[in-house]
Amino acid sequence: MGYSSKSPWLIHYDGSSCNGCDIEVLDSMMPLYDVERFGIINTGNPKHADIFLITGAINHQNVNVVKHIYEQMLEPKVVVACGICACTGGVFRDAYNVIGGADKAIPVDVYAPGCAVRPETIIDAVLKAVEILDEKAKKLKAAEKNA
Amino acid sequence: MGLIAFLVAVPLVAAVLLMLFRTDQQRSVITVVAAAATGLGAVAFAVQHLFGGFSMFELPQQTSYAITWIMTAVDIILCAVILWSAVRYRNRLAFVLGLVQTLGVIWFANMTLPEGAEHMLEMPLYVDQLSVIMVLIVGLVGSAICVYALGYMKDFQHHEPEGAPDRRHFFSALMFLFLAAMFVIVLSDNLEWMFTGWEITTVCSFLMIGYTKTDEAIKNSFRQINLNMIGGIAFLAALVIIHLTGLPMSLAALPVVANSMVAPLLIFPIMLLSVAGLTKAAQMPFQSWLLGAMVAPTPTSALLHSSTMVKAGVFLLVKLAPLYLAYPVASFMVVSIGGITFVLCSFMAITQSNAKRVLAYSTIANLGLISACAGVGTSEAVWAAIFLIIFHTVSKSVLFLCVGTVEHRIGSRNIEDMDGLFSRLPHLTRFMMLGIMGMFVAPFGMLVSKWATLVSFAETGNVLFLILLAFGSAATFFFWAKWLGKLAGVAQKADNVEGGVHKAEWFAIGFISTLLIACCVLLPVISQTVVGPYLEGAFGEMPQLIDVDNMLIMAAIVVFIAIVLLTPWGRDSKKRRVSVYLGGTCTDPDGRQYHGSMGRTMTSSKRNWYMQDIFTESRLTTVGLIVCTSLILIAYAACFVFNVQFLAGGAFFVDRKVLLVGPNLWGILIGVVVFAVAAPVLGCLLDGLDRKVSAHMQGRVGPRLLQPYYDVRKLLVKEGASVNAIDEAYVTCALIFCLLAGGLFISGSNLLMCVFLVTLGTLFVILAAYSARSPYADTGADRECLQVMSYEPMLMIMTVGFFTATQSFDVACLTHLDAPIIVSLLPIFAGLLFILTIKLRKSPFDLSYSHHAHQEIVKGITTEMSGRTLAKIEVMHWCESILFLMWVGMFFVWDNPASLVLGLAVALAAWFFEVMIDNNFARMKWQSCLKLAWLVALVTGVVNLIYVLITPFI
Repeated sequence: MGYSSKSPWLIHYDGSSCNGCDIEVLDSMMPLYDVERFGIINTGNPKHADIFLITGAINHQNVNVVKHIYEQMLEPKVVVACGICACTGGVFRDAYNVIGGADKAIPVDVYAPGCAVRPETIIDAVLKAVEILDEKAKKLKAAEKNA
Repeated sequence: MGLIAFLVAVPLVAAVLLMLFRTDQQRSVITVVAAAATGLGAVAFAVQHLFGGFSMFELPQQTSYAITWIMTAVDIILCAVILWSAVRYRNRLAFVLGLVQTLGVIWFANMTLPEGAEHMLEMPLYVDQLSVIMVLIVGLVGSAICVYALGYMKDFQHHEPEGAPDRRHFFSALMFLFLAAMFVIVLSDNLEWMFTGWEITTVCSFLMIGYTKTDEAIKNSFRQINLNMIGGIAFLAALVIIHLTGLPMSLAALPVVANSMVAPLLIFPIMLLSVAGLTKAAQMPFQSWLLGAMVAPTPTSALLHSSTMVKAGVFLLVKLAPLYLAYPVASFMVVSIGGITFVLCSFMAITQSNAKRVLAYSTIANLGLISACAGVGTSEAVWAAIFLIIFHTVSKSVLFLCVGTVEHRIGSRNIEDMDGLFSRLPHLTRFMMLGIMGMFVAPFGMLVSKWATLVSFAETGNVLFLILLAFGSAATFFFWAKWLGKLAGVAQKADNVEGGVHKAEWFAIGFISTLLIACCVLLPVISQTVVGPYLEGAFGEMPQLIDVDNMLIMAAIVVFIAIVLLTPWGRDSKKRRVSVYLGGTCTDPDGRQYHGSMGRTMTSSKRNWYMQDIFTESRLTTVGLIVCTSLILIAYAACFVFNVQFLAGGAFFVDRKVLLVGPNLWGILIGVVVFAVAAPVLGCLLDGLDRKVSAHMQGRVGPRLLQPYYDVRKLLVKEGASVNAIDEAYVTCALIFCLLAGGLFISGSNLLMCVFLVTLGTLFVILAAYSARSPYADTGADRECLQVMSYEPMLMIMTVGFFTATQSFDVACLTHLDAPIIVSLLPIFAGLLFILTIKLRKSPFDLSYSHHAHQEIVKGITTEMSGRTLAKIEVMHWCESILFLMWVGMFFVWDNPASLVLGLAVALAAWFFEVMIDNNFARMKWQSCLKLAWLVALVTGVVNLIYVLITPFI
């Protein structure tokens, strides 16, 4: 097991949503769920983050911001779409301004459905994401060796 | 002897030739040849006399008499120039003062000249190491500035309106005349001759300040001449008194007189000469002339404020230093005025955005420091004063020259406009950064001298001045660091506008920068072979303030920093370039423009902090004027009120000699290795424990104990990407300095040096943050500067307290104590605990960066750092935490080995206390941080230092 999975730092972005998932993400930081047990920290800075936690749907206004945040994150990085809106656009998917789920803007690695997504699901999703993170880290290392 | 004539004659001849031959071509040739001749003459003079010690030169009395006649004639001509200008520009005050001076000169000449040649001094010229140093300063730096003026004045004339008369020949001639006068001042033992040199510099600078003939220039030039005439008249009055009392008119004879039965005769001459020195050195209440002089073309400022004019003032004070030991009232006057000027001008420099005014205030502040050191009069203090003179000269002249050139390139001397200069003027900016660092951080000579200042004041137990020094130095850090930050910003796409800088300017800047580095590297050598012997001659003892091993380490660090700044070392160009984080879509990283979430394109702008509401310039000036004028008046009144036994009775302090018990270089090396291995391990565990304990306090389980280790390992495998190529190099430096500081501490070496190196490390982190030009990182860096300014006074006071308790600055002496230092330093310990919150980055003072505040201004000072760079910051944080906790534990250690356990227990208790504070307080505003930290430092410092330094004698 690599070190990436032991220290997943998050950046959380809330797109076009009802803010229910947003609250649940913050909720998982609280003492009851205490995600810091897994070394998870909410950094608020894409340059420090390994996991992009996105809630809410992508619309025309935030699509570039989401892409930009993703670009500014350093490899290895994974994206977790939290909540059904981030996965598919959810109840908003037919709205005139909504493009769809997070995967319309950036590649998504883990989908965590729910409306709103449960903290347990978020933690599950993040722990799934760290496995992918480790794999990516391994690949990056191999690529560096070959280069 | 012949060389002295050569040194005075060459600039004089050059001045005359420059007035005669006026084309550009001729002027270039004359200037370069004369500057080279003066420089070589100075070097030859130095080679001949540097190690020779004090010697005087005999001159036939007839010749001497003739020269005195000439000098008197020059005095009268100068008076005529002043009177003529006063009439022409209708300045009454100048006319009155000029008239007084004229009458004084004539009256004095009337007394001395008729006595004939046989009353002349037999040996009117002298040389000692101090004058050799001054000759080198004037001859090398001064002539380099003359060369610089060639290029500068070309641009200057270019910027003048069409048809403006070309008076550059006059300007160049004045500069050379100035150099000649300086040589007269530093080599004359005959006070009359020195006075003439003194007056020439006054009038020359008057003419140079008024060079542009604008209303402002005329006004400021008259302010200069009026204030300096007060000093001139004081000088003249001193000469008259010396003559009337029948004392020899010789500088070298003054200390002899002071130690004889007739010492009281010198009370007033010393007071008057001190005032003359203080005016020329632009001390409060006379400081305004130096600020006004900034309207002149930059070579004037460089010449006047770095190497000549003001240095003449402090030179006189340093020459008088042995006398201040005998005359306590004069000493009191000079020390307190110097100290107050230092602190107030450092505060005022914070509020300035005009680069030249910042330089002016910093010049006045540093001259205050030099004056104060001279005023103390012990050999240690004079050691510090001489080195301050040397390093101030080289650093400041580089800065003035750079600012002058930059002004012509970018059309502004405002610091705000210097944003991103690192890319626009790459070479010039690096020199400028070097100059700025030379002014305020360890390991550069200026700071080593300040260190010596602190030691010498601690030795004499001058509580007031120690406190002033602590606060003034903190302010110094702030205003230099924020300017440095502006310069350090690396723009990603910028036009290089460096082409077109004149060759002469490059030469001068490069030459003086080389001098700066050479002086810093050779500091131990200069101390041992030049300044030490001088002090042995003047005071009969060679001070041992700073361990030579420590100076050697400093010298090595200078070389290291020069390499980091001036060579491509540490630049990782393979890293992927990323743009700064702007909270939205970054559209133009250099212009800091971004596409915000509301669909608009926004620009983020950021200015430096000037804190005008806290350090208001006008208010501080008024305070300074009132306090310093009263001090002078009080001192003069004291001369009338008290009896001569008191006035000439010698200084009343108990001199404590600093003990040097630190380890040698090998010991330090072992310390560094041990610290570099142990501190990251312990710091990591402590950090993990911190997170665990914090989690428990919040009712959580928290991460694994080794979580910080996993974090760092993770960061190390991240992809290499950065906003610029240099930030990682800065952070690496910071980490190295931090390890070095810790190593010094555990090996038992100098505590002050340890504190300075920690500050240096912080400065490099600040630089790394500023280099990104990101609004978030900039804000973090600004706040970090503020934090340093907040806690620095307390650290200074802590080290002084340490000295008072142990007689030494070396940590090793703790093991020889009968009782722990906490016994006498309880208030200081409390103050340290207070600022520990800032240093450990804990709430309520985690302004610049915090582990806990999740979303707050992104990530403060580390916003733009990532991967390996961030990992190094983390490791540095671990090491710093361990070091700071060792400072806490240090208070409880004495010669009993078991006390180490006690120290450890107290350190852990302090740590737990800090974690608890961290979890129970919200972050405060920066104003509260600054005010509270300073208040605590002031109260605990004053209370404790007075208790340990003064009460034992009451």
